[in-house]
Amino acid sequence: MVEVSLKVGQRRPIPIPFPNSQIQTMTPQTEFEKRRGVSRVEVRSGFAQAHLSNLGVPLAGKRLEVLEQVAKGGISIDFLKMTPMGLSFLIKAAEVDALHAVLKALNLEYSLRDGRSVVLVHAVNIRDEEGLIAGILKAAISGGTTVHHISDMHDRVLMVVESSEAEKLADTVKAAFMEAVRAN
Amino acid sequence: MRIKVMKFGGTSVATHEARIASAMRLISAKEQGFSPVAVVSAIGRKGQPYATDTLMQMLRDIDPSVTPEPRELDLMMACGEILSSVIFAHTLKTLGHSSQSFRGGQAGIRTDGVYGNARIVSILPRSIIQSLEEGHIPVICGFQGVYVSGDGSPGAELTTLGRGGSDTTASAIGAALHAEAVEIYTDVDGVKTADPDSVKNAPTLRKVTYDEVAEIAHLGAKVVHPRAAEIAMQYGIPLWVKNTFSDDEGTEIVTREVFPGRRVTGVTHTGKLVYLQFDLSSAPDNERTLLEAKLYEVMAEFGVNLFMLNLSPMGTGFAVPRSQFPMLRDVLDGLTVPIGGATSNIYLFQIGLKASRKVEAQSELLQPLENIKRVIAELTEGCSMVSVIGHEYLQQAGVFHRVLKTLDEAQVPVLQTSDSDFSLSCLVPEADTNRVVRLLHDGFGLAEMV
Repeated sequence: MVEVSLKVGQRRPIPIPFPNSQIQTMTPQTEFEKRRGVSRVEVRSGFAQAHLSNLGVPLAGKRLEVLEQVAKGGISIDFLKMTPMGLSFLIKAAEVDALHAVLKALNLEYSLRDGRSVVLVHAVNIRDEEGLIAGILKAAISGGTTVHHISDMHDRVLMVVESSEAEKLADTVKAAFMEAVRAN
Repeated sequence: MRIKVMKFGGTSVATHEARIASAMRLISAKEQGFSPVAVVSAIGRKGQPYATDTLMQMLRDIDPSVTPEPRELDLMMACGEILSSVIFAHTLKTLGHSSQSFRGGQAGIRTDGVYGNARIVSILPRSIIQSLEEGHIPVICGFQGVYVSGDGSPGAELTTLGRGGSDTTASAIGAALHAEAVEIYTDVDGVKTADPDSVKNAPTLRKVTYDEVAEIAHLGAKVVHPRAAEIAMQYGIPLWVKNTFSDDEGTEIVTREVFPGRRVTGVTHTGKLVYLQFDLSSAPDNERTLLEAKLYEVMAEFGVNLFMLNLSPMGTGFAVPRSQFPMLRDVLDGLTVPIGGATSNIYLFQIGLKASRKVEAQSELLQPLENIKRVIAELTEGCSMVSVIGHEYLQQAGVFHRVLKTLDEAQVPVLQTSDSDFSLSCLVPEADTNRVVRLLHDGFGLAEMV
C-alpha cells in the first residue's frame, strides 16, 4: 500500500489500494483533528480601558445612562464588566478622545488608560478540555502579568493586559502549554 | 460513486418506528443515486435502557464509592453504539436492503490514546469502501475508535471520542470518503434561533457558519458538536442538520466566505450555574496575585469548567456548573493558603457568607497563629448565562446598552456580563432564563429570521 500524506484542506483525490475501485479516498493516513490544547498565541494591540466608579444609585440605572451616552457618541465597547460600584470596558485607542468628551460631560469619576493589548490564546474546543481556561489564567497570573480582564470563546481565551506585558504573557503561555505539546 | 454520510442521533434510533423513519432516509438517498453510509448513536437518551448514561450508571451502581477505570468506562459506553448499529443494520435488512454494521475500529478510525476524550488521528476506511462496493449500506458505530500504541502491544484499545462523538465520527468518515454531504439527523428541524422550549416557533436558520455553530455549542445549545463542524470545514465537506421526522430542508453549515455579513444568529442559554465572587480586597497586591494563582491552579487541577470569569483589584469571580459545585466547595471551603515573606499572612477560604463547620473548625485550629485573614466567596446559586450570538454585529456601538436596557425594563437583575468577538452574555437568575431568552430574541427581531 502506498501511503500519501495530504495536508488539511487539500482535496486531491488519491486512488485507494483496491483494484477496480471507483471510489476515491482522501488518504490512508490523515490527521483529522486539530491537536488538543493551546495551538497559537496572538497579540492584538491598540486598546484603551475605562474604569468608572462611584456611579451612585440606582447602580443599574446609572450604568445604563453611561452606556447610552457612550453609544450615542458612536463608541464601540468590548470586555464590559460590572464592578461593585460601576463598570469597566475596553475601547479602541483611536476612540479615547471621543470617550473623554462623553465621560467629562457626564461629570463622572473615571480613569481612562491607553496602552492596553488583548492576548488571544487559541485552543480548539476549549470547553471540552476541562480546567484549561483556569490553567491558562493560572499561568498568566503566576508569570507576573496583571490580567485586567478575561473572556473566552469556543476556540480561544482573551486576556486584556498592559501592552508592555503582552509579549511577556504570550511567551509565558507558549512556554507553559506549547512546549509541552511539542515535547509530546 | 456519490457518497452521503447520514448520522442518526439517539432519538432517531430510539424506537422501532424511529429506526424505520431513519432507515427510510437512507433508502431514499440510495434511490436518488447516492451510496449512503450511516453513523449511529446509542439508542435513546438518559434514563433509557441502552443510552450511554444508563450504561455508565450500571458500572457506578456497583459501588458508588469506587470510580470506574476510564478504560473500562470506554468499553462499557461503546456497547451502546454497538447494539444500536447491529439493530439498525438488521432493520435495514428487514426492509430489503443489505447492510453491515461496523465498530469504530472496524471502520478504520484510529485515535490517540486518551480514554473518554480521544481525538481521531487517522482513518483507513477500507472496510467501508469494500462494503459499499459490495452493495451494502454500512452502519458505523459513532463515538468510538481504537488506539494502536505502536510499541508492539497486542491488539488495539477501544477509545471513545467524548462529547458529540457521533457527530465527529460522521464528519470524519465523510472527509475520509470524500462524501458529497454529511447530514446530522435529529428530532428538530435544524439550528434554531433559540431553544424551542424557551421560544415557541423559533425559526430554523437556513445557513449558519461553522464558527457561529461552534460558538452556539460553546455557549450551551445542543446542535452540531464543534469538532464535527471543524472537520467538515477543514476538508470542505458540506454539513447539514436535519430532522428525521419532518421534511424541513434543515440548516446548512457553511464557511464565512460562503455566507459573509453582519448579523445576530440567535440566543442561547446555559443553566444550572453557581456564581462565586471572591473578595480579595484584604490582601496586598502581591499576595492577591498569589491567592488568585492558587485559586486557578486548584480549578485547573480539578478540571472545573469556568464561565463568566472576571478579575479586578478587589477580587475575582466566575460561574461553575452546579454539577461541579459540590466538588469545588469541598476543595475550597476551609482551604488555607499560607503566604510567606514580610507579612506571613495565612488566608482561609470560606465559601458563602456564613462560615461552615469546616471553616469554623479550621479557624479554631489556626487561632494561636497571627495574621489569619479570610477570603470570603459570595455565593449566588441558581444562575443562567444567556448569550446573544452574532458575528461583527455585536461590535457596533450601542448593542450592550440595548441588551442591558431590555433586561432592566423587564426588571431582570444582571449579575455579570461577558463578551467576545462572537457573543455577548449576561448572567441572570435561573428563574428568569426563558423570559430573558424571549426578550432578547424579540429585541433583536430574530422571530423574522430565515
